[in-house]
Amino acid sequence: MGRLAVNGVSKIYGESDASSSVVALRDVTFEVPDNHFCSILGHSGCGKTTLLNIAAGFERATTGAVMVDGVSIDLPGWRNTMIFQDYALFPWMNVFQNIVFGLEMKEVARKEREDITRHYIGLVGLEAFETKFPHQLSGGMRQRVAIARALAVQPQLLLMDEPFAALDAQNRSFMQDELVRIWQREPKTVLLVTHSIDEAIKLSDCIAVMTSRPGSVKEFVRVDLPRPRDEDDAPYIALKRKLRELIRDDFVSR
Amino acid sequence: MDAEPIDKGAKTSPSRPVDARQRVATMSGLETAPVEKTEPGVVPSFGKWFRQQLLRILLLLPNFILLIVLLAVWQFASKVWIPSIDPYMAVLMPAPTTIAVTAAGMIVSGELFYHLMASLKREAVAFLFAACAIPLGIAMGWWRLAYNQVNPVMEILRPIPPLAWIPLSILWFGIGDEQNEFIIFLGIFFPILINTIVGVKNIDPLLIRAARSLGAPERKLLVRIVFIGALPQIITGVRIGLGVGWMALVAAELVGANSGLGFIINDARSMLRTDTIIVGMLAIGIVGLSIDTAILALGRRLLPWSLAMRK
Ligand SMILES: Nc1ncnc2c1ncn2[C@@H]1O[C@H](COP(=O)(O)OP(=O)(O)O)[C@@H](O)[C@H]1O
Ligand SMILES: [Mg+2]
Repeated sequence: MGRLAVNGVSKIYGESDASSSVVALRDVTFEVPDNHFCSILGHSGCGKTTLLNIAAGFERATTGAVMVDGVSIDLPGWRNTMIFQDYALFPWMNVFQNIVFGLEMKEVARKEREDITRHYIGLVGLEAFETKFPHQLSGGMRQRVAIARALAVQPQLLLMDEPFAALDAQNRSFMQDELVRIWQREPKTVLLVTHSIDEAIKLSDCIAVMTSRPGSVKEFVRVDLPRPRDEDDAPYIALKRKLRELIRDDFVSR
Repeated sequence: MDAEPIDKGAKTSPSRPVDARQRVATMSGLETAPVEKTEPGVVPSFGKWFRQQLLRILLLLPNFILLIVLLAVWQFASKVWIPSIDPYMAVLMPAPTTIAVTAAGMIVSGELFYHLMASLKREAVAFLFAACAIPLGIAMGWWRLAYNQVNPVMEILRPIPPLAWIPLSILWFGIGDEQNEFIIFLGIFFPILINTIVGVKNIDPLLIRAARSLGAPERKLLVRIVFIGALPQIITGVRIGLGVGWMALVAAELVGANSGLGFIINDARSMLRTDTIIVGMLAIGIVGLSIDTAILALGRRLLPWSLAMRK
């Protein structure tokens, strides 16, 4: 449950006829099959966040629509939940309360929501930290809470905007592996924004490479490498070179 | 499972657990000195506890040197110097010892307590009414329309000092509790309102997005995210409000009451009881400070996360 279709999405900021208007996205179209992991790769300013915000229901597309299982997304909600770069954990709730929040909003029965919450606390490995508050946790742990909180509502589409950008290199690499592990245990349709080619290859089944001015999908690349992916494998290196060139073209043409 | 931070250190007394962060924020490091671990429920030996408290007081003593000197000078002036110039003038400035004796008498007779309770009751009633500033402030901070409509009204009323309402309020309510409470209400209301609005507007918009993205409907969003997120600022508003209200209370009681701390000091004036006046003034100051300290401590205890975020 969670086939994603981005159908001709355009986004223009400001009045469309005014000279000051910004075309952030033009006619973005691609599809992600159910339970696939898709990355959006591109330089900053090419409209990645804009696309994700539309998919999350925070903004409206000027034309076109983002659909999940054929239903267009208009509002934010648990079906298309978002994980934020700065985690956006509720500081007055402990780990358990943060994760159970979405289930309370869904009005899941008490016993069931506690079971679900414990399951996801276990999945991200935070059993010993259930009653800690966000300010008592490290960056990596907060990221885990954010992931568990989003997974707990059992979304059809999981959105992440550069989720590991705030972590140091070592933690980032570790959390990427963790995300793959969690996603393999509980497959979901994921749309992840990144400007890191390695992150995109490491995580994804497919990569939408975006170019700027105006933001559009230049190429939709499938990644058919077995997981876990080895940076030294020939196909990995070949794919990396290809992506780098796609992105570099964009840089040169600016 | 233990929700408290691991590095709690030791407690000075098992009946008064001290939050680790709070201790850092309030004490000069004395309480962080490790004391032997006490089993829950086992009282540490009284001798040891007594020695610690004594040491604490001795170490704090240097801070009170000026105060003690001033009291000594005051005592000398009132008892020796002024009477030597003009014995009749001495009544205008009673000595600290005289004041202490008067205070003891007023405490024992229950007079001070009676008037204190009268004042506190007015403050409490006024606060209950003024608490409606919290929902109003949330509405104004949340809905632009509510803000745009209500703000002009508030901006006109807010700069009018509560005391300026005294003549009109006497005509409206007569002299009595309602009139007093109305003046106090005006003092409490606006600080709470303004701080609530600021608190709501300052909530991290990402938290609101996160809650919506987890499926929170508007009503639950307001209660669980907006209200709680603004709570530290609301409590600041309550502190300021109760302080302003307490000042307004005394002024209101000076004019139109036959009980309360403000009444005591005005009543004593007509009988030239300067000692009673000063006892009343001190009581007003001490109680005002106590209210403020209590709310601050309550806020710290209930909202440890807000303290942690501020650091
Ligand atoms: N609210 C907005 N108003 C006007 N222009 C915007 C707004 N948000 C983004 N933009 C513009 O849209 C373009 C894409 O932005 P964004 O989606 O944030 O890019 P990315 O996430 O890829 O770095 C940028 O040129 C940016 O300046
Ligand atoms: Mg971005």
